[in-house]
Amino acid sequence: MKTVRIIAIAVLLLTAGAVLFANYLAPAGYEQQFRELPQAGPSAHHPLGTDDLGRDRWARLLYGMRVSLTLAPLAALLTTFLAGLVGGLAGYFGGWTERCSKLLIDFVLSIPWLFLLITVRAVLPLNISPQASVTVTFILLGLLGWAASARVICSGAKDLMKSEFVWMARASGFSGMKLIRLHLLPNLRGALLAQFWISIPVFIIAEANLGALGLGVSEPLPSLGSLLRELQDALTLRPEPWRLLPLAVLIVVISSFQVLLNKGLLNKQEVRA
Amino acid sequence: MLRFTGWAILRLAAIMLLASFAGAMLMRFAPGFTSDDQELNSGLSAESIQAIRQAHQADANIPRFYMHYLGSLVQGDLGTSRSLNQPVKDLLRERLPVTLFNLAFALAAGWLLGLALAIAAQTLRWPVLSFLANGLSGTFISTPAAALALVFLLLRLQPAFAAALLVFPKIYRYTQNLLQQSSEMPHVLTARAKGAGPLRVLAWHIAPTALPQLIALVGVSISIGIGVLLPIEVVSDVPGIGQLAWQAAQSRDLPLLVNLTMIVTFVTVCATLISDAAQRRFTRSAA
Repeated sequence: MKTVRIIAIAVLLLTAGAVLFANYLAPAGYEQQFRELPQAGPSAHHPLGTDDLGRDRWARLLYGMRVSLTLAPLAALLTTFLAGLVGGLAGYFGGWTERCSKLLIDFVLSIPWLFLLITVRAVLPLNISPQASVTVTFILLGLLGWAASARVICSGAKDLMKSEFVWMARASGFSGMKLIRLHLLPNLRGALLAQFWISIPVFIIAEANLGALGLGVSEPLPSLGSLLRELQDALTLRPEPWRLLPLAVLIVVISSFQVLLNKGLLNKQEVRA
Repeated sequence: MLRFTGWAILRLAAIMLLASFAGAMLMRFAPGFTSDDQELNSGLSAESIQAIRQAHQADANIPRFYMHYLGSLVQGDLGTSRSLNQPVKDLLRERLPVTLFNLAFALAAGWLLGLALAIAAQTLRWPVLSFLANGLSGTFISTPAAALALVFLLLRLQPAFAAALLVFPKIYRYTQNLLQQSSEMPHVLTARAKGAGPLRVLAWHIAPTALPQLIALVGVSISIGIGVLLPIEVVSDVPGIGQLAWQAAQSRDLPLLVNLTMIVTFVTVCATLISDAAQRRFTRSAA
């Protein structure tokens, strides 16, 4: 099991390196077209060949990973903030605040997120720029993904409010903000951190699903999702194994995340939460 | 029980009211809400175009628009699809059975596989089996539904199997954790120390404590199943609700999309409430 964990860490470090140094590792820009070489096979200059528009697939994979792996943590940060805010306040105040927050959490959890996501995505203007589309996609993920985490935080905050040290602090005259800052937040940090890490692979997969359905990041900006979309004709019409690399990368990266999430990195925090 | 049922119905009503309000607002503020294609029809007279504009302006009043929308919903009028020019009710009648059948299959197969592997890993305690089961669940939990559907399309396998494989990891992981926690409880350790076999311990000591929580997972698994079926139906060209929602999103048919989301939400909330009630009942009878 230790070996699996080491492999997972190595994979994630390698991916992070590839994402950081995409400019140096990619033979061309993600939108640069080699018009004389559309649908070319792998070669020394284009390790994964080129797509229908003559763009280098290796470059698109590297930049696509950069987009997905940079923005998913930012969306996770937004989700964790919202979860902390709603769940924390619900647990802290209790009573009607908790009931209303729980209703809101139940409401968001009841709506199948992919339906909600494509509904909200469909409302956006058609002429949205690629940069705006990528921002909007990940902001939407962040805004819609907080409910499950908020439930965990609410339960944690509620337990803390019943704990002896919080009672003692309140008896000593600690005010609301001081209590939150000195006692609640430090003790909820583990649960918040766990929710942050758990959200990252969820958002990468969500973006991949949206991208594969054509509702994610707009062309020409690549993302893991939009690269998966290319597989539709690759698998049905022209089976070329190297085109499966984005899918393989996605599965390996997410699996590595899952291995680290399951094997120790977050177990303690999750149990505590 | 009566009080619980009352609260459950109230919760359902509140969630549906919130959902309908959010849906109505999305439709109301969507680009192009106040305009109509018919305004471009050169065959219409100026009076007709004016009447169309006035009808749209009446909808600009938000409370009025919401009440009108809610009234239609209560009467079972789900509106007409703009892109397909068909009543939403008819579209649902055609497509809902397909999705429900695939959902039932995915859930049954996913639960069967998840439970079987979790129980086998817990009772047999073979490291190889645990490693393989964890690897399998790890792979499928990391695979986007659309990508797995593509692979299944290539292999010419039934799309419902892909949905089952995506439901399975959640069931497996949750069940395995639950069995693990239950097997460390003092009464289970005592039973084991007294010489009870693994199957007896599982059936008489672990299952009664783990079952109520597993029942609660039924509602969640329905939600997961619906979520994974959408991309699978789109990629595999299955004429279900998921594909209809995607078509509606592509053609920006917001009335259809919002109503579909409302119906799926209703199904999910009902399933969750029923599984909560079952869990409550089971916990009481076990106590």
